Order: sequence, then structure tokens, then C-alpha cells
Amino acid sequence: MNRLGIAKVAALVVLGCVLLAFPFIAKDRYQVHVINTVGIYILISLGLNIAMGYAGQFNLAMGALWGVGAYTAAILNTRFGIPFWLNVPAAMVAAGIMGAIVGLPSFKVRSHYLAIVTIGLGEVINIIFVNEQRLTGGADGISRIQMPSFFGFPINTDERYYYLILAVVLIGFFIARQILKHRIGRSFRAIRDDYQAAKAMGINTAYYQILAFVISASYAGVAGALFAHLNTYISPDIFDFSSTLFILTATMVGGMGSLAGSIVGGLALPILQEYLRVIKNWQLVAYGIAIMVVVLFIPGGVMELMRRLRASRALRWLSAERRPEERFEPEETNVSGN
Amino acid sequence: MNIGIFLQTVIGGIGIGSLYALIALGYSMVYRSMGLVNFAQGSIYMVGTYFGIIWYAGMVMGLHVPYPIALIIGISLNAMLGVLLERIFRPLAKLDLMFMLLGTIGLGFVLDNLFVIIFGAEGFAVTSPLPNAPLVVFGIRILPQMLLLIGVSALLMVSLQVFLKRTRSGKAMRASAMDNEIASAMGIPVHRMNAMTLAIGSGLAAAAGILAAPIVYVNPAMGSAIGLKGFAAAILGGLGSIPGAIAGGLVFGVLEAVSAGYVSSSYTRGIAFLVMVVVLMVKPSGIVGEVTVEKV
Repeated sequence: MNRLGIAKVAALVVLGCVLLAFPFIAKDRYQVHVINTVGIYILISLGLNIAMGYAGQFNLAMGALWGVGAYTAAILNTRFGIPFWLNVPAAMVAAGIMGAIVGLPSFKVRSHYLAIVTIGLGEVINIIFVNEQRLTGGADGISRIQMPSFFGFPINTDERYYYLILAVVLIGFFIARQILKHRIGRSFRAIRDDYQAAKAMGINTAYYQILAFVISASYAGVAGALFAHLNTYISPDIFDFSSTLFILTATMVGGMGSLAGSIVGGLALPILQEYLRVIKNWQLVAYGIAIMVVVLFIPGGVMELMRRLRASRALRWLSAERRPEERFEPEETNVSGN
Repeated sequence: MNIGIFLQTVIGGIGIGSLYALIALGYSMVYRSMGLVNFAQGSIYMVGTYFGIIWYAGMVMGLHVPYPIALIIGISLNAMLGVLLERIFRPLAKLDLMFMLLGTIGLGFVLDNLFVIIFGAEGFAVTSPLPNAPLVVFGIRILPQMLLLIGVSALLMVSLQVFLKRTRSGKAMRASAMDNEIASAMGIPVHRMNAMTLAIGSGLAAAAGILAAPIVYVNPAMGSAIGLKGFAAAILGGLGSIPGAIAGGLVFGVLEAVSAGYVSSSYTRGIAFLVMVVVLMVKPSGIVGEVTVEKV
């Protein structure tokens, strides 16, 4: 193990300690609550990143699919008293199935058209939340969802819930990494970079397109179940198009086509919002300007910025170790499809 | 089925449909000339509405400008905004769809929230310049303002076609939209043409907003839903096609009105989107759109 490796391990250990100790070093309960929400956003963002950043499939129904997960968990819990641990897989499956349906148009349409079709289907799902009052409680939503307990140990505070979310996010991140490393990931990238060529090479494009939608929707579904059981109350306006936009923005700011980007974006945006509260009304304006600056000047998001820094000569000269010319690979930032 | 009520529903749909059509024109023209999908169009529509209505409703120094003049002021101010926007969109148009999407959405976000700061989040109702009592023709009841909306929109669409087909600038605009490199080689100032396109698109959106203001409610969030529907209408007709935008808008409006009247009013928005999805699946290039060949 070389010096860099040791530094990396040390950084990981410190990071791990900070993550584990966070509820104890947080200033107040509200901070923990914000970070719990961050975890949920990171999960959705990972899903969106897999579909959009890696497979090039515009899934702009993510907000609604998140809602499908949340409503599945909420209905199962409040109607049938089914506990959290069964609701999570149920929400994952329900959202996954819905994701497959949302993804069906991807056989026929792509790019702008797929974007608007998924936005439209997301709206339809949201309208169902509002209108199927007997099932979903209509515009009032569903309240009094139980918080989970672990073998009799109640997970009923933000601090306790934090560890649950931390575990799920870590598992979600590693599953995503494994998926993308192997055959599925390679097929995704092939479809994203050149649809026709991928097809010609014998990749079952239809299968992988739907798979991309199902995987991203499953992430949203799990995030939905976590959200419902954390907040104990859900209503349809949470899951409208603006939530999709928020996730999309977070992912783009972090870096589309990079899983770490999802974490950075999911962390940065809600925290940025909290800090921008100081400037009151102007915070949303500043937020919009920030989005435009990122898009115009660093389209690959924070992750690209870091790659650029790492690739810059000045920095390499400064670092003690002079490594051979590092290859700059912009392929991960090209996410348009074709 | 009562034929009178059906006609009344259809006319109401055409009214809202011409609103969608005017907004869809903005999407399609800008897409055609710059290759840019402008998701700030809904916010531009909202801004244009305010630009006109503030004069009419006496929000500027208590002035009560007559409605037609307020309409013209609103259209001109919004057209100027369009010219400014060309500067922001120029670098955006070179990026991938996803970045364009986000960049223009960011811009819309800025506009929306600036207007919340200036005018407050809560909206206001605008009194119609025409009598509020519906006209009754053969038992069909129509709001005079709705007729005005349909009439002026039709006039604007016809003049747009005449402008594009008959005038020098219109032809230059079409040429630069068709191939901006060759157009600029021919001495057509492409950037100025793009600015003009954005000005026209924004002006039409302002017209739509000011004409519809007495029917709908004016508030800074009014653009988001209508912007999405206008885009759906543009896609329905075939993005980039001008007759397509008009047809798409009208079809979308009528569809919405008829489904609200006869199927389910709570599912209106959903039904319109579902039909759009189905149309796209069957004919991805839209109602009027040309067939596009997949580039390898």
C-alpha cells in the first residue's frame, strides 16, 4: 500500500467516524432532520443518475415514483398495519412496476419527447394521488403513519432514524456501484453513447431501457417508504413535478453520470437552501442563478470541477508525488444519448 | 347529448386552446431557430402578463391605461425581454438537452421568484374590459372575453404566417432557422434573427397572458402549469412546426375541455396528458411534424 492509499484509508476512517457520530455532534434535532431528508434525496438522485446519467433515459417522473413508494408504504401501514420492514420491499416493487410502465414509451420516443412523456405520466400519477380519495386520502394525504421499530426497539426520533437512513443509503450506493460495474452498466453506457451501435452489437436495448427505468424507480420507491415512515404524514403536493426538478437539479449540480455526484448534489442543495434562508425572498432567486451558473460554466457539476482540478497542471506540480500524465476522460460527462 | 352544450364546451376549448397555441408557438419557433427547448416559456408568459396588466389595472402610478394600449405595451416590453434573453440562450443552445432543460428552468425560477418579490406571491383578479354577461347565440353562451381571446389570437397567428412568408425579415428568419451556417454565409445576421424569434415568441406569450388575464387569475406561479401544457401542445403538433404548434394548441385545449365536460373534471389534466402520450407513441413526430430519419 503506497502513501496515497494510506491517506485514502485514513480519510475513509475519518469520514466513517463523522457519519456515525453525526447525531451527537449536530447542533440540534432540526439539523439531524435536514440530514435525514438529504439521505432520502441522495437515494432518489442515485436512481435518477442510473437512468439518466448512465443509461441516457430521461426519467422525469421520479417525483411521482417517489410518491408511489411513499403511498404504498403509507397505505399498507395505516390500512393493514403492515410494519416498516415489509413496506420497504413492497414500496420498491410497486414503484418498480410503475417505473416499467413509465418506461414503456422509451421504445418509441427519445430525448425531448421522452422527457415530456415521462413528465406527463408523472403528472398523471400525481393526479391519481389527488383524485383516488378513498385510497389515498385525496389532497389531505395520509397521516399517522407509524415510525418503525427494530425488534422492539422503537426508531422514533430523528437521531435513531438517521442510522437507518445511513444504512440504506450506503447499501443503495454499493448496489448501484455493483450494477454499473458489470454487464448491466456496460450495456447502459453503450445505449447512452450510441443507441444504434449498441443495438447492432446485439445488446437487447429494449430490456436494458426498461431495466434502467425499473432500477431508478426502485430507488425512488425505497426513498418513498423511508420518507413516509419518517414524516408520518404525506400529501400529493410533495410529489409533484417540482420535486422531480429539485432532484434533477441536485443531480446535475453534483454531476450527472457520476454516483458520487449524487451524494455531493444531494448534500449540497438542501444545505445550500438552509443557508440561503438568511437572505429571505432572494434565496430562490439565488438558487436559480446558481443553477444557471453550474449549467453554463461547469455542466458536469461539482464532480467535473474536481476532475478538472485534479487534471490541472498546477495542482499536480504542487503535490509531492508527480504521477505520469493523467488521462482526462470526459466520457462520463457526455450524457445526452446521441 | 345536448349539441348546444357540446358546442359551448368546444368553443371554450378553442379559447383555452388558442392560449396554449400562442405559447406553443414560442416553444416551436425558438426550437426551430436555435435548437433550444426553452422551458422558461411559462415564466415568460407570466412576466408578459404582468408587463401588460400592471398598466391596465392601475398598478403603475395609479394609471389606468385602456386595455388595447396595455396589450401593446405588454407585448412590446416582453419582446424586449426576449431580445435580452437571446444573450443568455446563445451559450445554452450549444449544450446537451439536459443542460438546456436545466438552464432554462433555472432562468424561469429566477423570473418567477423575482416577480414574487416585486408583486407578492398572492395574485389578483382582473376585470374584463368587455361586459361580463355571456353572449347568447343560438342558445350557446360565450364570454365576450373568450371571443376576444380567440379573435386576437387568430389575428396574431395569421399575421405571423404572413410575416414569415411574405416579408424580407420573415424569410431571413426562416432561412436562418433552416440552416444557420449557410444563412450566415449568405449575410443574414443569425444572432439578430434568433433575437427576433425570441422577441416574437415572448410577445405572443405576453399577448396570450394579457388576453387570458380576465378569465384566469394573475399570480407569479401562473406560468408553470400553462408552460408545461404549451410545451405538450407544441410536441403534440410536432416541435418546430408553426402550423403544428397552432393545431397542437387547439387540439389540446378542445381535448381538455371536452374531457372535463364529459369524462371527469378531476381527471382533466391527466386525460389530456395521456392522449398526448398515446399520440406520441403512435406518431412520434406529432400531428403536423415531418418524419425524421434516425441519424446513426
